[in-house]
Amino acid sequence: MTPKLEVRNVVKSFDDKVVLQQVDLAVGLHEVVCLIGSSGSGKSTLLKCINLLVPIDAGDILLDGRAIADRSVNPNEVRQKMGIVFQAFNLFPHMTVLANITLSPIKVHGQSKAEAGERAMELLERFGLLDKISEYPDRLSGGQQQRVAIVRALATNPELMLFDEVTSALDPELVAEVLEVIRGLKDDGMTMVVATHEMGFARDVADQVCFLDDGVVLESGTPKQIFSNPQKPRTRQFLQRIVDAGRL
Amino acid sequence: MTTVSVTKPSALTWVRRNLFRTPLDAILTIVFGSLAVYVGIRGLLFVFVNGRWEIISVNLKLLMVGRWPADELIAIAVALVILGLWAGLIAGIIAGRQVRKGTSAIEGMTRLERASDLGRRFGLVIATLLLLLSLTDTSGPWLMVLFTFVGGVVGRLIGGQIGVRSLPSWVSRLGIVVMVVIPVWAYLYMASAVPLADWEGFLFNLSSAAAGVVLSFPLGLLLALGRRSKLKLLKGMSIAYIEAVRGAPLYVLLLLANVSLEFFVPAALAPSKVVRAIVTFTLFTAAYIAEIVRGGLQSVPLGQEEAAKALGLSPTKQMRLIVLPQALRNVIPAQIGQFISLFKDTTLAGLALGILDLLNAAGAITQQSDFRGQGLIIETLVFVGFLFWVGSFTMSRESQRLERKLGVGTR
Ligand SMILES: Nc1ncnc2c1ncn2[C@@H]1O[C@H](COP(=O)(O)OP(=O)(O)O)[C@@H](O)[C@H]1O
Ligand SMILES: [Mg+2]
Repeated sequence: MTPKLEVRNVVKSFDDKVVLQQVDLAVGLHEVVCLIGSSGSGKSTLLKCINLLVPIDAGDILLDGRAIADRSVNPNEVRQKMGIVFQAFNLFPHMTVLANITLSPIKVHGQSKAEAGERAMELLERFGLLDKISEYPDRLSGGQQQRVAIVRALATNPELMLFDEVTSALDPELVAEVLEVIRGLKDDGMTMVVATHEMGFARDVADQVCFLDDGVVLESGTPKQIFSNPQKPRTRQFLQRIVDAGRL
Repeated sequence: MTTVSVTKPSALTWVRRNLFRTPLDAILTIVFGSLAVYVGIRGLLFVFVNGRWEIISVNLKLLMVGRWPADELIAIAVALVILGLWAGLIAGIIAGRQVRKGTSAIEGMTRLERASDLGRRFGLVIATLLLLLSLTDTSGPWLMVLFTFVGGVVGRLIGGQIGVRSLPSWVSRLGIVVMVVIPVWAYLYMASAVPLADWEGFLFNLSSAAAGVVLSFPLGLLLALGRRSKLKLLKGMSIAYIEAVRGAPLYVLLLLANVSLEFFVPAALAPSKVVRAIVTFTLFTAAYIAEIVRGGLQSVPLGQEEAAKALGLSPTKQMRLIVLPQALRNVIPAQIGQFISLFKDTTLAGLALGILDLLNAAGAITQQSDFRGQGLIIETLVFVGFLFWVGSFTMSRESQRLERKLGVGTR
């Protein structure tokens, strides 16, 4: 069976700095892959490459076996099949929660306002945010904002979700509510790539963990393999630092 | 932990602390204090005792609207009342929306607090209007101001009702169109009564500054977008235009506008001086608006564009729906600043193009046979300066208020 998403030999540099060197990654349908690695290792860049927000220099990205980083492919069409959630939420501050969520369904997918609104209410209800529907983002807590951002990405029924350190900007007590949402999506069978520093979460939820180091996938495997029996010294070093910081 | 003293210091302590803390402070206080007292007394004497203000009251109409025919004054009155209604509607809709969103500042204020707030904001304008009215001897201006005021209040009340409701989008879209059309209509209506070429006095200064800012906005926006464009030629042309215009003094451009058009257009077809002034204001201000908007575009975090892109929005929609609304909101105060500066600079057009604007009229009336050779230019210039100051000061205060409200820079 072809994987849902395949990253093959992807190379990306900014100016002279090589940020991704020959990255390979395969994500099966309904699979959750967690990207771990210290800051600056290229996690965000990899996710943005997958979503075509950043053009790659070499290699291939395949969605359902189709090369999407190709020039002949309309990036907007591809992005409509994926949702991405950012560390900094990036909600639109001049729009209400409802307007944030229904923007893409209405303006890109041509849904009616009523149709898009109904779907938005459904999702907000599910994530306990229905009472915030007409608030502006700056009146919500960080955790609420991030959950709205997730709902916004889900509103167009993506086949693949990308999460970029979505809890890193949150106060510790708000992290759980956001991770809970992602767990719920896994139960729905959503295919996901999750860059995270929450090792406990990665261990519980991931089908596959990839350790990214200086733009290279140094090691990947089941959570058990990576967390209990890491092969590479760099991986051990990284995990040791996390343990020392009390985060595992 | 130190405790904060809440007892009010006595007047003497306050004086010592704030005015005579060090010997240098004492010297400065004495020097500038006596200077201020001297200037203040001379100023008061001039305004209330020595000033010969008859020249102003005799020529008030000339100063305000130039040689606008007396039987067409009704057009100005009608336009003003409509504009009062319009301004009231806008203020009301904004206030109503704030109530709906729960960000209203006036909700929770007592009536007295609201009155004093309004007084602080517009007291100066109201006082100036009353002063001007007191100089007139006919009832027309009184009625005009009264009805404009009533229009404003009515508009504010209706607007408040509209603002708190959430309307279907086609209604609000229609509403926006109506609100844009109203001032344009008022302008054209006045121009149909008296051709633009004959607009003079303070009316010229106000209306041409307003026209210049409104017209320069779309041009400035295009230039700002052009400057950001990936197309090299477009980008280069935008930069060249912006830098060329910003490097030239407005006065020179106005003088050029006065003579250069005849090269291209036969004199009979050439636009009137007022139109030339407005065109020059527009072309000049557009370059500044472009830079203001560019700053606004840069102030929108990159993540906003990224998020919009990730949602599948086309580049045009990213700009129109996400980036521009935030960018423009951030630059409203700077745009008001640009309007204020253009408002004052309209006096240059009077000189460069020979239009009888407020400043030129103020000079001309000192040559009337009743007033010639009496040095009354001081009185008339003080009057001109005062009117411009009231306008600029009020707008700049309102702009600061808006800035605080929008929380620009504190997001
Ligand atoms: N737009 C960019 N221009 C230049 N360098 C960049 C850009 N984006 C990321 N980088 C660099 O690429 C490297 C990887 O960054 P990133 O993908 O954000 O890592 P991570 O998300 O793992 O912290 C960093 O060294 C960063 O400085
Ligand atoms: Mg990152």
